[in-house]
Amino acid sequence: MTFDLQRILESKRALRRSLAQRPVVEKLALLDVLRDRVRVIRAAAAERAATMAREAPSEDHAQPRNP
Amino acid sequence: MAVSIAQVISVINQMEAAGVVARYAIGGAVGATFYLEPVATLDVDIFVAFHHQAGQVVVSPRPIFDYLTARGGVVEGEYIVLAGWPVQFLPATSPLVEEALAEAVTVDVEGTPARVFTAEHLAAIALQTGRAKDHARLLQFIEAAAINAERFQGLVRGHGLLDRWQTFERRFLQGPS
Repeated sequence: MTFDLQRILESKRALRRSLAQRPVVEKLALLDVLRDRVRVIRAAAAERAATMAREAPSEDHAQPRNP
Repeated sequence: MAVSIAQVISVINQMEAAGVVARYAIGGAVGATFYLEPVATLDVDIFVAFHHQAGQVVVSPRPIFDYLTARGGVVEGEYIVLAGWPVQFLPATSPLVEEALAEAVTVDVEGTPARVFTAEHLAAIALQTGRAKDHARLLQFIEAAAINAERFQGLVRGHGLLDRWQTFERRFLQGPS
């Protein structure tokens, strides 16, 4: 492992090249996996946003009213 | 290897053979995956051409939805879900997409013929559509050398995309001066 940015970028490019060169069937199967991950991430993000909205104080409570 | 998109393609092949649409081709992120590394997407874009009927001006997706729901597809808004994939059917709304449909190529997927836009047409459509994710896809095509530059430039010139291409080049391909 290295923190050399150039090497990191090159290894990313190499991974992308290797993925692109896989057989189409393998790549399409990977789309299934990626789609399922995106769904999980989106559901978690939506849940987190809903929780934050529930827990955030409303404007009425957050700011004192003028007498 | 069971690939659910292959099941989607199989059903759409049957739909085309039944004459519901005149021709189909896969575009979008799934189409790009035939040439590039896979990129996460939630849906499948299928471009379709319809049989011309005398007196019919507006095309309707209704025959597609009727055909597919009768075979287990589930309608969800603008999509119809097949084999777990939301599929969106898009009519050819520009000469570029019409040409892409006409010149789409057939690729074998587990014994199922899949018709997909050429890499150059996918790249030109991305340039034409012009959202951030389309620019990212176009960059992927260029960086991966997945398109024939001469053919792509022919599409750019032929479909009035030269200004867009020059802007794209300035923004993404030329280093800071």
